Amino acid sequence: MRKLLVGMMLILSGPTLAQEAPGKVLEAAVNQVIRPGMSAFAEKAGVLEGSVAALCSDPSAEGLETAHDAFADAAIAYGHVEFIRIGPLMEDNRAERLLFFPDRKGIGLRQVQAILANEDASAADVASLRGKSVAVQGFGALEFVLHGTGFEALTGAEGQFRCQYGAAIATNISDIADELAFAWQQENGIAAHLMQPAPEYDDYRTPTEALEEIVGLVSHGLEATRDTRINPFIAKADAAPKPKLALFWRSGLTMAMIRANLEGMRRFIDQSGVARNVAEKDKGLDNSIAFEFSNANRALDLVTSPVEQAVEDPKQVQALHYLVLVTGSLQAQVGEQLSAALGLSVGFSSLDGD
Amino acid sequence: MFASSVQTASGRYGAVLLGERGDVIASIDLPDRGHDITVSREAGRGVVFARQPGTFAVVFDPAGREAPVTLTSVEGRHFFGHGVFSPNGNLLYATESDFEAAQGIIGIYDASDGYGRVGEFPTYGTGPHEMLLMPDGIHFVVANGGIETHPDYGRAELNLQTMDPSVVFIDRRDGSLMGQLRLDAGLHQLSIRHMAIDARSRVWFGCQYKGAPSDSPQLVGYASMDGAIELIELPPETLADLRNYVGSVAVSTDGNRVAVSSPEGNLLVAIDVEGRRPVLVETLRSGCGLAADDKGFVATSGEGEMVGIAGASREPQHFPFLFDNHMLRIDA
Repeated sequence: MRKLLVGMMLILSGPTLAQEAPGKVLEAAVNQVIRPGMSAFAEKAGVLEGSVAALCSDPSAEGLETAHDAFADAAIAYGHVEFIRIGPLMEDNRAERLLFFPDRKGIGLRQVQAILANEDASAADVASLRGKSVAVQGFGALEFVLHGTGFEALTGAEGQFRCQYGAAIATNISDIADELAFAWQQENGIAAHLMQPAPEYDDYRTPTEALEEIVGLVSHGLEATRDTRINPFIAKADAAPKPKLALFWRSGLTMAMIRANLEGMRRFIDQSGVARNVAEKDKGLDNSIAFEFSNANRALDLVTSPVEQAVEDPKQVQALHYLVLVTGSLQAQVGEQLSAALGLSVGFSSLDGD
Repeated sequence: MFASSVQTASGRYGAVLLGERGDVIASIDLPDRGHDITVSREAGRGVVFARQPGTFAVVFDPAGREAPVTLTSVEGRHFFGHGVFSPNGNLLYATESDFEAAQGIIGIYDASDGYGRVGEFPTYGTGPHEMLLMPDGIHFVVANGGIETHPDYGRAELNLQTMDPSVVFIDRRDGSLMGQLRLDAGLHQLSIRHMAIDARSRVWFGCQYKGAPSDSPQLVGYASMDGAIELIELPPETLADLRNYVGSVAVSTDGNRVAVSSPEGNLLVAIDVEGRRPVLVETLRSGCGLAADDKGFVATSGEGEMVGIAGASREPQHFPFLFDNHMLRIDA
């Protein structure tokens, strides 16, 4: 009986519900996903900093392996929150400083190689490294240091400069991760604006604006994962595969990073409950989105080889092409269907910039 | 008449011609999403450009006597959504991108001979967007939005940390650069995208901000061929309502007011060009398209609405299609 009454109230209170619901969704998005995600990244980045420093003071094969593992953990932790392109991640070029990708002209690679070849001491000091090109101070540069040509030197004394440069990058990543976590933990900063929008804030003045922002984050995040992390390296009708356009092909973390991106967005939808805060007729949407994310995961499971081999194996190629489709369909579910179900502005001239 | 790119109820893309009373005179199918339209009475043709980065432009006959012709972008170039005809209608110019070099291009097409591509000029910047012909008929003004994209990466913005937007004046006769104007260095993430020219030949522009949403830079300004460039001060509440995004800019028939729109903020603002302040602020959900209409402006929305504002006597109308970002007025 009680259940029935609640059900009836939900139906009767449709419009009020729409005004009350966003608060909980926004609070869960911040407190259950964004804040813990940023803190987890800061923690893993701290471990990375420590492990590279340890490698430098005592170079060894084991130390290098530990640093490799710490790199993977920190990159994946960033992969979980990378789509949260608002607030502190968009200030001071933090997103680009953490991961300058794609580096279409290979500028970053050349700069990193030049630093290593010239043993540029200013790059081994975090304060001066921070003032250099965004391409030489984040995950892309550190991947080359730890996995690129000549990385074996890190197990001995001859890799001293390379290691010190890597340690400076790891410290920089850790510093930026701390800044992100700190900014999101602030009681009166972006977290408060997003959870409790108010007319006097520049960024989020109403719950609708905040809701539009978080739904947009996922919609744009899905598009970015597809367009920059999957599509560029797979074969097209008129072009061969280009595995070296894949992010992190040197460390073999290409697919792990795509998985981390999708997992971060899946969790965000699920734990914020945003797709459950809709009218009865749209209640199926939450399940459809979850179903599509699990389809994506199944496709990811099929891509088991390093990316250079995966793009030549018909089964894995098929899974990669399927991932392109499924991220597109997820984007439509979130950006169009969920937006419409939430009563957000979905007029197509405002879906994305032009 | 008016013309706009649209999306139909079934999700297909096209363009429509509307009469003065909003009656649909003609519609054209497009292979993908269109963007702006330009028309030349001299050439007797209009052109719909693909949304950037796009591979087609469709030439149509506003009178409907001849079937539309589709132009395809040449290798290494993509259409970027806007273009103009030469004063005599013999040449068509389109904003394009040389995406390997990340350089803006003006593609030149021979309208008198089947629209073959006969040359190109640089735009002296990256990510060109709207281009207009100055009233002297000799110079173009081009908004270099500053954003690098590449077909390998969809619409991903590849250079947010090094964006360098500018307004450039280019000599139509030889492509030479007459002047390049930039805003303050601190505003390098303020992408200059859409423009309209007022009664004193000043180029009013609207910007889209790519930095942190909590920043609120001014978004509307003007540039002139004598080298001035300046943002005007919109009141804080109006600026906040624009949500760091101006989607289109239009000038009134008398050239004394400009209107800007924000589909992100559902806002339309008409500005007195001499007083440099808003004279009207109105909301329209997903409103973006703007064109001069008798004493005011007509505005269209991504939800299929068409309304008159700022003195335009026009009943609101709803259409069974969604208007794209731009509306063009075609004088009979």
